[in-house]
Amino acid sequence: MEVTVKIFRYNPEKDARGNYVTYKIEAEPTDRILDVLEHIKGKTDGALSFRRSCAHGVCGSDAMRINGRNRLACKVLVRDVGANITIEPLLGMKVKKDLIVDMEPFFNNYKKMTPYLVNNSPLPADGRERLQSPEQRARFDESTKCILCAACTTSCPSFWANDEYFGPAAFVTAHRFIFDSRDEGASQRLMVLAETDGTVRCHTAYNCTDACPREIHITQAIGDLKMAMVTGKLE
Amino acid sequence: MGLKRNVPLSAALGYKGQGPFLAFILHRVGGAGMAIFITMHVLSTFAEMRGLAIGDALNKVYTSPPFQIFILFCVLFHAINGLRITLLDIFHAKLMPHYRKIIAVEWVVFILVFGFAAVSVVATAIGRM
Repeated sequence: MEVTVKIFRYNPEKDARGNYVTYKIEAEPTDRILDVLEHIKGKTDGALSFRRSCAHGVCGSDAMRINGRNRLACKVLVRDVGANITIEPLLGMKVKKDLIVDMEPFFNNYKKMTPYLVNNSPLPADGRERLQSPEQRARFDESTKCILCAACTTSCPSFWANDEYFGPAAFVTAHRFIFDSRDEGASQRLMVLAETDGTVRCHTAYNCTDACPREIHITQAIGDLKMAMVTGKLE
Repeated sequence: MGLKRNVPLSAALGYKGQGPFLAFILHRVGGAGMAIFITMHVLSTFAEMRGLAIGDALNKVYTSPPFQIFILFCVLFHAINGLRITLLDIFHAKLMPHYRKIIAVEWVVFILVFGFAAVSVVATAIGRM
């Protein structure tokens, strides 16, 4: 089938602002959007720039706006979006070139969540691992799936307004550690989340939940965090 | 080097979110509508106290049926949507998995209440003619 692909282009060395370039190519309905981009880059316009790595929905490199929604280019098929495809960079980030955005603010917010296990207690008497029941593990199981693609954060209207807002991905990271029974840094993280750029700015637009390629129920995870902040309980 | 991160309103409104995103936008439209109404009300009262003609003109605008229907939309949507958000915040563990159904319920309630209110306004306006 013939596919019309409109792609946002911006070259910082030549352009003062971005523009759209339209390409017409042949593609199979089962081709992924990433295949379409690779085809254009390989056969039509070698200057087209975008991020990609694993191409299997695991690394999270190729998050972009596809027909107005944040998606991973490697997980969307041509038949899912039709013959007219518009591809744009993620919203709310500086565009460095074409579909490549500056992820620095995103990772700065991520780092604020202390994204590692905090446990200063001595090891168990047998010197082996800190045990955890299946129920304790299930409490934060979903939030371990995050691949930091930024599709959620850049779909959030609060983040569009202010990139100091920690954003859904940072909250998912906080959720992953706060509700981990082995972690001892919950109170410190909850203090950070209570700041003005914290969960209070989540207005439950659910764009993050819709955008997540790993189908994490992000708004629900944020609800868990809000409740933990109010009640002080992690159960 | 790079483009600024500013998100223009057109790009934000053009994002294809789902029902909750539409509710999010309409919630803000409702809030802005109420702020406009209250501002007009305060200004018209102030102007009338001073004997300025603009007060009467403002009064005519916000007592007109189209504006009344608009402000009813703003107040009712803001209130009903606010109720949905509050319930989801309080009972999030039980309700959040059903957020799509809850949005549908919200729209049914809103259409019924707003429809009744709008018909009442129109009927009153016709009765005055």
